[in-house]
Amino acid sequence: MRTDSKSWRDPVLVATVAPLAIVMLLFFVIPLVMTAVLSFQTTQFYRLSWTWDLKIWTEVFSKPHYWTIMARTVAMALVCVVICVLIAFPAAYALATRLRAYNAQIQILIIFAFLTDAVLKTFGWILVLDKSGVANWLLAHLGLGPEALNLLFTPTGTMIGMVYGLVVYPLFTIYLSLARIDRDLVLAAYDSGASRLRAFFEVTLPLSRPGLYCGAVLVFVLSLGAFLEPKVLGGGTAPLASELIRQSFETRVNWPLGAALTLVLIVIGALSLALSAAVLLRGSRRAAR
Amino acid sequence: MRALHGVSLDIGAGEFVALVGPSGCGKTTLLKILAGFEDQTSGTLEIQGQDMQGVPAAKRPTRMVFQKLALFPHKTVSDNIGFPLKLQKVARAEMDQRISAMLDLMHLKREYLTRYPAQLSGGEQQRVALARALISRPSVLLLDEPMSALDAKLKKSLQAELKKLHRELGTSFVLVTHDLEEAMMLADRICVMRAGEVVQLGTPSDIYYRPANMFVAGFIGETNFLPVSVTRDKDEAKVASPLAGQEAAIIAKDQVSPFLGDTQTALLVRPETIRFVTGAAEPGEWVLSGTVEEYFIKGSSTQYRVRVPGLDKPVVMDLAGSLDLPAKVSDSVRIGFHPARSFLLSE
Amino acid sequence: MISERLKDRFVDILLVGAMALLILFFYVPIVTLVVFSFTDSRVLTFPIEGFSLEWYGELFRKPDFLPAVANSAIVAAISMVFATVLGSAGAVAWIRYRFRLQNAFRAISFLPLLFPQLLLGVVMLLWFSVLGNWLGFSTGLATVIIGHVVYITPFALVIVAVQVYGFDETLEDAARDAGASGWEVFREITFPLLWPGILSAATFAFLLSWGNFYVSYSLAGTARTLPIFVYSGIAVGSSPIYPALATLNFIPALVLVFLADFLRRRALKRQKLATA
Repeated sequence: MRTDSKSWRDPVLVATVAPLAIVMLLFFVIPLVMTAVLSFQTTQFYRLSWTWDLKIWTEVFSKPHYWTIMARTVAMALVCVVICVLIAFPAAYALATRLRAYNAQIQILIIFAFLTDAVLKTFGWILVLDKSGVANWLLAHLGLGPEALNLLFTPTGTMIGMVYGLVVYPLFTIYLSLARIDRDLVLAAYDSGASRLRAFFEVTLPLSRPGLYCGAVLVFVLSLGAFLEPKVLGGGTAPLASELIRQSFETRVNWPLGAALTLVLIVIGALSLALSAAVLLRGSRRAAR
Repeated sequence: MRALHGVSLDIGAGEFVALVGPSGCGKTTLLKILAGFEDQTSGTLEIQGQDMQGVPAAKRPTRMVFQKLALFPHKTVSDNIGFPLKLQKVARAEMDQRISAMLDLMHLKREYLTRYPAQLSGGEQQRVALARALISRPSVLLLDEPMSALDAKLKKSLQAELKKLHRELGTSFVLVTHDLEEAMMLADRICVMRAGEVVQLGTPSDIYYRPANMFVAGFIGETNFLPVSVTRDKDEAKVASPLAGQEAAIIAKDQVSPFLGDTQTALLVRPETIRFVTGAAEPGEWVLSGTVEEYFIKGSSTQYRVRVPGLDKPVVMDLAGSLDLPAKVSDSVRIGFHPARSFLLSE
Repeated sequence: MISERLKDRFVDILLVGAMALLILFFYVPIVTLVVFSFTDSRVLTFPIEGFSLEWYGELFRKPDFLPAVANSAIVAAISMVFATVLGSAGAVAWIRYRFRLQNAFRAISFLPLLFPQLLLGVVMLLWFSVLGNWLGFSTGLATVIIGHVVYITPFALVIVAVQVYGFDETLEDAARDAGASGWEVFREITFPLLWPGILSAATFAFLLSWGNFYVSYSLAGTARTLPIFVYSGIAVGSSPIYPALATLNFIPALVLVFLADFLRRRALKRQKLATA
């Protein structure tokens, strides 16, 4: 890849970089800073008062209620990561090795499902998981399991919705890693006497690690903000952090609290990102040596 | 980092010059400076008497054939060839006429005009790239190893066509290649480069028979260097080697490199000038003893590699091919050559 | 030997089966919605009892349905244009250029992709509320569009960046050598070659915006886009008009996805150089 070194005096560089940079600064970076600032303010009679105060933060750190919900959110996110990766890996592997002829068609099918309105898809899941829904009808007619399997309005329902919404990310990142692996490397492993399973564990799996990590971390971070699923499919029985944040804005009109809770989630996400970046960097440095 | 140091090169109008050297020697950099893709940090470049400093590639009278051809994948063959004319806003009728003339010159079929480059074979793509470069009648055509990706047979036929094309067009050609054989076949003059410097500039026969130093000589193909001590005597040189019994030999003036240094002097002994000595040595012949390390039957010739004690590398000799082999592996042999017919040079 | 081959077949079937099951999983709610849209009963129980199109009519009779469609279309069209243009320019700067503060630029232009949408919406809502207090405006379609641009541009950027990464710059050199000026190089070579990627990015951007709930929900104020219309509807009680809406919703998306893919592949087919 050849690259051009450009100076900021070059109008071409300014024209390509500045608009996007300004949009992101104004509507992404500054709002983040604003959120941090707001978390040090207080409310009085539902009105924001501009003071510098640690009151909100002491409240956040002292109330176990918040921490149970945060812990539940992280736990749900972790379970979601494991399930997503377990589902995505074999499918991505199939896509990269067995289904090359149908790659384009399969990708379109998946992208189409991914781009469909999330609210409608969630509503679709209600119809599937409902007591008198498709899933129970199918189970009954196949003679499997008891009638009236109760999935709707349980954490399992939430989890199905979360996995459904996020499994696409690791599917694509893992697929991209797998597709980049030189087929000769696997053949060389066979040639050295490795069995198929052995070659998979010695060559394919380690080389697909970047995609695996990227996909996992994306799922983790994005599932921290799951809102529709716990509300609509989980029935609000086990609220997650996003519900807490929404309530502090809408019901309690306590913006500083909402801002602080948002920041806690962002920090958890940022830490996990930093951790995975460190692991990935160490791995690639080792590979480069 | 500087890629080139004190390169000075004059290319005559209508001349075919080849820039040769190992990868990283600066030949491609030089070509890019000629084309206008890179600026020289110092020095001047003139084409047809005009200074090219600051003149962009588009405005230079040079056109380039790229190493990987760089045919536009989204344009048809016709649009690819006609692209330079389109930019010059040449009228459609003249453009069509010039494109079809190019097609004839390049022996390309007319039905290719509406095809895309991806639908052509490697050789055909090569011709399209040449056609695109030549259609605006440049005064200098630059060729950046355009044939390195082709198989040997196709390469030979395209080389012949390129030579014919050059003779017919009267355009100056500058060819970059790492293949000295290709350069010798095609070019009027060859410029051998190493580490950003011109090592030798001369006709193909200069380069082959009178290489400036061991680097140029070694670049041509397999050859032998026999270290010798030298005493200069006006025009001639007197050489001797302990391996050949210190018998001194006289090397005539035109067999001595003009760039001969004081140290690391050696005789260039070509493989085809060495023979096995079975009886007495001929007058003036130097004889070395050694053992056969390996031999290769190459059809019209047989190559022997003889390990001579005191030399780092085995001596390579090419004998005319014959049914009976004169020696086998690990036989002790004596090999001889005439130092007076060898060429004296230094590192 | 035979058992080896059998084992291989078994693994093949297992893997292909995993992909098939995943696709099935993706389409379970979607197909269910389509089926339910044709029910003749008000209650959504499976299997549906009879076939009817009455819920489509019912949907169009809802007074706030068509305004929501119009809002979604406006938001998606404008967001698409901005996200695609900003993302394409950004992709070129990401991949082709080297400049001071590039890493900072990369970070801020990519991070929104790693943000849970709800948090992105909340953070922007805070800012717009503070700004609105100072400048005297309230959230509405304009803020939704800004939110969508922030959320969608990184997707567009990544899609175009892949195309830029595979771009052979010697083609630009060749055009310059043939006498093209900077603008001509862009018009004749750079843009046509990046077009397939830009087209995919635009399709993606439009559909992401069209179906976006989280960001719109936070930033729309009193305005309603289609996903908000559905959300507030199902919060009150489910009705077969939503499956009908979903089914209608699939049609333009389907057309757009297949059209974009057709155009992209036609462009790519021409460009694939036979490897010599």
